[in-house]
Amino acid sequence: MINPLILLHAMVAEFGLFAFLWVLVEVLNPTEARIRRARIAASLGLACLLVAWFAGGFYYVEVYGSHVKPVIKASEVAWVHSVIMEVKEHIFLFLPVLAATTAALLIKYNNELLHNRNARVSVAMLAGLIFLLGFAIAGMGAIIAGGYRFAMEAGLA
Amino acid sequence: MNPKALIRAAIIAIAWIAIATIGSELSGAFKQLLTSIGGHHWIGKSILTAVFFVLSYLALTKFSDDELSLKDTLSLVGMVILAGLAILIFYILHA
Repeated sequence: MINPLILLHAMVAEFGLFAFLWVLVEVLNPTEARIRRARIAASLGLACLLVAWFAGGFYYVEVYGSHVKPVIKASEVAWVHSVIMEVKEHIFLFLPVLAATTAALLIKYNNELLHNRNARVSVAMLAGLIFLLGFAIAGMGAIIAGGYRFAMEAGLA
Repeated sequence: MNPKALIRAAIIAIAWIAIATIGSELSGAFKQLLTSIGGHHWIGKSILTAVFFVLSYLALTKFSDDELSLKDTLSLVGMVILAGLAILIFYILHA
């Protein structure tokens, strides 16, 4: 049974990442309407990543540390915690910073993005970075889930 | 809103995350200090990341002009890559 917090964390985070992919697509060839949609997408994306931060953080502190981590660390795949989870939990912290920066740039520049190439390319780069980094983090989450399942099955064998 | 200051504040915040991550693994006292903020070292890092981001922005608005250059954004991307690799390599070596 999947813990509801992990389901919330994963679903909301992935929605947030797709929101920033949406931002990237909208600013590649901007019009006023596309910039307006990009601002909405960035705000939604930031909100989703903040929810993912809290949901994932609550799960990590209250559940993972006492129930999941000991199982993984006692198994043959202890590296899933000591490398993958440790990297994931810290690199994740980059995302809200990048998301807030990207959303703020979109709000600040607004229709000036039509004429300001530096600002437009900056927003596009940051949105793309959030998407790529976020999906690398999601992949780490999948490895951790798989590692836990492996450790549980090994323990029951 | 000063976009140059914002980007630079993001660079500082991401550098802080890498320093705090590695520092807390190397220093028990530093980890304990982070734990004292919010009850868990990861919560302490999270809170201080937000605090440093905001405080850096407020401080840098006094010193930065507000013209954003691509060099600023590329520096931020570079810091993300550098900090990410530092964290990854550290944990691989200390697993």
